[in-house]
Amino acid sequence: MEGDVILVIVVGTALAFDFTNGFHDTANVVATSISTRAMSPRLAVGFAAILNFVGAFISLEVAATVAKGIVDANLITTTIVFSGLIGAIAWNLATWYFGLPSSSSHALIGGVVGAAFVAEGAAAVNGDGLLGKVIVPAVIAPLLAFVVAGLAILTAYRIVGRLRPGPVTRGFKIGQVASGGMLALAHGTNDAQKTMGVIMLALIANGTLGADAAVPTWVVVSAAAAIALGTYMGGWRIIKTMGSRIIKMDSAQGFSAQGGGAAVILAASHFGYPLSTTQTISGGVMGAGAAKRVSAVRWGVAGNIVFAWILTLPASAAIGGLVYGFTRIFGADSAVGPIVVSAFVIVGVAAAFVRRVRRGPSLTAAEDPV
Amino acid sequence: MSALLAQVVDVDALLEVIGFSLIAGIGVTAAFSIAILGATRFADSRRDDHPLVAAGFAVLGTLASLACVAAVVFGIILMASKA
Repeated sequence: MEGDVILVIVVGTALAFDFTNGFHDTANVVATSISTRAMSPRLAVGFAAILNFVGAFISLEVAATVAKGIVDANLITTTIVFSGLIGAIAWNLATWYFGLPSSSSHALIGGVVGAAFVAEGAAAVNGDGLLGKVIVPAVIAPLLAFVVAGLAILTAYRIVGRLRPGPVTRGFKIGQVASGGMLALAHGTNDAQKTMGVIMLALIANGTLGADAAVPTWVVVSAAAAIALGTYMGGWRIIKTMGSRIIKMDSAQGFSAQGGGAAVILAASHFGYPLSTTQTISGGVMGAGAAKRVSAVRWGVAGNIVFAWILTLPASAAIGGLVYGFTRIFGADSAVGPIVVSAFVIVGVAAAFVRRVRRGPSLTAAEDPV
Repeated sequence: MSALLAQVVDVDALLEVIGFSLIAGIGVTAAFSIAILGATRFADSRRDDHPLVAAGFAVLGTLASLACVAAVVFGIILMASKA
């Protein structure tokens, strides 16, 4: 009974994380399209939400479960998963508050690593896996996207540079619909599966499903719906940062950033190299801007973003570890700890939203265009 | 340090990712730019009454557009076949 209560809380928390993932990462997909006016804000987020939902169904391979090869799977309990999720949600909301794009995947991995470390000690964490699967890709992804998008925009300018600007701008705006769509599909495929993987991990750890069980339909549909709903709600602060605070871009730059980013993400997924969609697209945006004119990039904003990337793993790990330590006060397998933490989180998030809404209209899309 | 990195990083996969990303990212942008070039020059040439030149740009634009569509389809297949 106690285990079932924790399981229900973990599933609910995983879906909440999935919602914040969509909410937080909407910017990856739509920011450049909105910034260049390729699409209206509402149309862009609606389009991204639908394609995120569809993307969750494209591939149901859950083999690449989050944190696999990074923490010892045999030591993972539902309480560790819960604590990791809380760490990730807290970091996602904190970076959203400051309008900073950061990796939801790294936040989740950091949260689980921190909780596993507090629960089982350093032996539970695979340092090589952390370095090879998270830290090295975190450095390479934005640099690669930066170079690809930079070379792509230089190529584009060389080809269309002597044409009348009107048709070129219209053409690249149409192209941005397709490149943004590809990004939304890739995001839904990659990130909704992480939530499915977490829910499966909890179901298996609880003994509800066998280790070889197929992903239940309700898991797929609920994860797809949560990420799509989060995407539709949209993290407008981050959209603003990605769309106009890093660089003021034209439609060709937007297309190059999205196209270059999508190419890097798809190549990495195909060759089994885990990259963060957020870091990749941010790198693409900076590359498309810097290739035109280095001073066009607001390097102060870019520096803040990089600082958030560096902080993501340790900060979410610290929160995940603290949450696990707190829940253990009530007993290692007790449901009381997760219930108390969930209550705190729900009250805290509700209070933060109420406060933000009272402060003004900056939370709403219609009144805060990029 | 480099020996440690070589141990934990799949260098072959990394080089493949870099190569594929450069070809696909720059290739698709170039193809789409050529499609825009073809469409724009086609309209200009037709307006200036140069039907042969217009036909050439129409073919160029169509081929480049087809290359872009193929890239999108290929990307969706890659997503669906992800292991």
